[in-house]
Amino acid sequence: RFTRVLFFSCRLEVFLVLGTVIIYFIFSKKKEETLPFKDGWWGKGQKADTKEDTTIRPFKVETREEELSDLFRRLDQARFTEPLENSCFHYGINSVYLRKVVSYWKNQFNWKKQVEVLNKYPHFKTKIQGIDVHFVHVKPPHLPEGQSAKPLLMIHGWPGSFYEFYKIIPLLTDPASHGLSDEHVFEVICPSIPGYGFSEAPHKKGFNSVSAASIFYELMLRLGFNEFYAQGGDWGWLICTNLAQMAPNCMKGLHLNLASVTKVGFAHLLSVLLGRYFPGLFGFQEEDVRRMFPFLKKGLYRILLESGYAHIQATKPDTVGCGLNDSPVGLAAYILEKFSSWTDLEFQNLEDGGLERKFNLDDLLTNIMIYWVSGCIVSSMRFYKENLQKGIGTQKHEKLTVQVPTGIASFPNEIMHTPQAWAQKKYTNIVSFHFMPRGGHFAALEEPELLAKDILQFVGKVEKEQLKKKR
Amino acid sequence: QTILCFLRSFEYSQKNAVLVPVAALGVGGMLVYWLRSRHKIKTIEMGDGWWGSGERPLKGREDESIRPFKIETSDKEIEDLHRRLDQARYTPHVEGAAFHYGFNSSYLKKVVSYWRNQFDWRKQVEVLNKYPHFHTTIEGIDIHFIHVKPSYVPHGRAVQPLLMVHGWPGSFYEFYKIIPLLTEPAKHGLNEGDIVFEVICPSIPGYGFSEAPHQQGFDSIATARIFHKLMNRLGFKEYYLQGGDWGSRITTNMAQMLPQSVRGLHLNVVFIGKQGLGRLISIMLGAYVPWLVGLSREDARRIYPFMQKNIYDILRESGYLHIQATKPDTAGCGLNDSPVGLAAYILEKFSTWTDKSFLHKDDGGLESKYSLDELLTNVMIYWVTSSIVSSMRYYKENFSKDPNLTAYNRFGVHVPTGIAAFPQEIVHTPRTWAKDVYKNIITYSYMPHGGHFAAFEEPKLLAQDIMQFVRKVEQL
Repeated sequence: RFTRVLFFSCRLEVFLVLGTVIIYFIFSKKKEETLPFKDGWWGKGQKADTKEDTTIRPFKVETREEELSDLFRRLDQARFTEPLENSCFHYGINSVYLRKVVSYWKNQFNWKKQVEVLNKYPHFKTKIQGIDVHFVHVKPPHLPEGQSAKPLLMIHGWPGSFYEFYKIIPLLTDPASHGLSDEHVFEVICPSIPGYGFSEAPHKKGFNSVSAASIFYELMLRLGFNEFYAQGGDWGWLICTNLAQMAPNCMKGLHLNLASVTKVGFAHLLSVLLGRYFPGLFGFQEEDVRRMFPFLKKGLYRILLESGYAHIQATKPDTVGCGLNDSPVGLAAYILEKFSSWTDLEFQNLEDGGLERKFNLDDLLTNIMIYWVSGCIVSSMRFYKENLQKGIGTQKHEKLTVQVPTGIASFPNEIMHTPQAWAQKKYTNIVSFHFMPRGGHFAALEEPELLAKDILQFVGKVEKEQLKKKR
Repeated sequence: QTILCFLRSFEYSQKNAVLVPVAALGVGGMLVYWLRSRHKIKTIEMGDGWWGSGERPLKGREDESIRPFKIETSDKEIEDLHRRLDQARYTPHVEGAAFHYGFNSSYLKKVVSYWRNQFDWRKQVEVLNKYPHFHTTIEGIDIHFIHVKPSYVPHGRAVQPLLMVHGWPGSFYEFYKIIPLLTEPAKHGLNEGDIVFEVICPSIPGYGFSEAPHQQGFDSIATARIFHKLMNRLGFKEYYLQGGDWGSRITTNMAQMLPQSVRGLHLNVVFIGKQGLGRLISIMLGAYVPWLVGLSREDARRIYPFMQKNIYDILRESGYLHIQATKPDTAGCGLNDSPVGLAAYILEKFSTWTDKSFLHKDDGGLESKYSLDELLTNVMIYWVTSSIVSSMRYYKENFSKDPNLTAYNRFGVHVPTGIAAFPQEIVHTPRTWAKDVYKNIITYSYMPHGGHFAAFEEPKLLAQDIMQFVRKVEQL
């Protein structure tokens, strides 16, 4: 009788194990499903019955005397608060340094000249799902024999803009003139996320990254591209990821300079606890360990100390943005603080926040002016609420994987490091993963050459792979 | 045998002479030690501080004079304000937003229009000056306070000194409606026995007309010490304390620092901070058997559903706390430059923290509980003193040292304590939980209505509870 019971229990166990394996595979297969395209209407009031205007209209950034004199008046009347003694950038932006920036802004910064700089690339607007979407479209000045320009969609984040790409665009549309290999040449499309810069802000609730991805997908189709590459960091990372999940057949390759993992499980916890001692066991490389540990300091505390802005923007965007849309100095303070801390956290120990070590004031102020003249700070912040209000790791797209060939450029001063071992759970087809030697969050603006080189080598790999498959 | 002999010989000759006194001493000593340790309460060390600019002067005594002070304004100040209000830039809200995205910009336009056209700051300054204001220098910075004595003290009645401490984003002005109820109760239909108060409302350093600290590290302990010094300078040896928001924390620290000076501590909000596993279990059980874990029916009604009310709601409402505790100088910069931005930021709290259901209203329900004049007067105090940034730094100074606000819990609070639990307070602390820290709760009242800004919103209810508490303490 005992042996019979044993036999049955063995069979039961086998059955259970088999059943689990089968179920696992069924469910894991499910993760490969595509993200559905999200249709929407973001315009004012009711959607009209008439067909939407799908024309692509050229656009020029303009400025008026009135705009400038209003800005100067506000800069003149700015009220500052003295910093605490020896506080550097530990309490946020240092107002002594801010005064210097404002003085430069008022006396040396030339907005008219910067507008001409902005207009050096062709701008366009087109109506999609009820709102005007702005984008810059730069074609290569000349193409090498027998080559065609590869379309590359580059998406910015917060508090950035399309302007962040102005230094990297020439390296991608005209690599030869900049000492880079011209094996691949791109035509670059940099849109503004709706609610940012010159793109109209959505008038309805619920405009999240999937909505943005759907709109950019429509944009690329409207421009006549049925295959393209996409590149992004910050929100651009998420929108490009969603795009890859939505239209994998259209996306030839996905390049990211940020690859956060939002769906964390027990395995992650374990690797955090033990990864320092058994890196190999968890797939960590030496550089991963160097960047991630001690985890409390470099992971948890850092996130807590740096995420106050995300917390308030994800809950009360209209409140926090209100004063910033009314005080250009307040706006500059808020945005510049990020360009300091997210470029190098050590900059907090400097009285000037280290800003001018990696950027020049003209570029920084041009980015801020885009937020100021378009009055978009509040709508840019709403994107946090629309994406994060239900919590992190709860949305459908966070549970789906990405099968599109992916290239990740991992910059050392990014706020939190994601090792390849974690990234490949979501990005199942990582073709290249490189530790960049220097640079932080605003990679395209800070280290355009490094980023461009990584994009080029990534595309090279993808194209080679494609050729192999064709043969 | 020999040992016994030895002992026996000892017994007769030495025992009485040596052992008994030694034993008596030993037992007596232990008794004394035990008695003393029972009554020995651990207090927070007072310490000392210097918050002025530069180095603390080595020579010379600090100027201890108490100087009368009058709030003033000028045409220039009002014109500058009006100019900024006129040039305000608004962002249209998304359709159906109400107050879910923060302060509704359509309603904000109405508030600003009132502010520009009907609000009379000169008249409000006169209102503010109806109580006597003073400045005195303590630890290197000017401390502002109002000191209101009863105009008439009935024969034979003692006047109790009462220190009332405000919070953020409030000010001493929050107490203007409750002060008359405490200094002249009979005139206002409150006859709670023989209790009459003289009220002292200081401004926390960095808030309103109190100078902001110039050094880092100014937390609630430093504030508690400074306020003790203030009361001492005013000639008070024993006094009552009342507080909500930061005021609750400061007055609690004061009671832990110098319990012998605190006759009683009255709070309208209690912060217990992070709780342990035991508390977590009792929370889970309490949803089903509240009586088993010491929760009353009203407690259960206020704290459940737990996830919703204590986790989600707090996460939704604590964004300001997170950014102020990490980057106050950034968060406050624009608010010190845009009065409209400042009003939106502050008034959003007066809406949501008064009643959570106000989130669903297009006008945030503000004018159902307050008048625009009083709300804007409070905002103006932050505006004319440019104190928003320093007020926000208080969060960083306190939270970076003690993120869970539990560092001083082990000291406990042994002075007689009264707690008024308002139903719309952001988080409810039942008596059983409060007892962990407040060892001597004399009164605990469930208030029928009211939210976070109790003194501002429900002055009569709060005054009655304070008087009831003080009466009980005086009878002890």
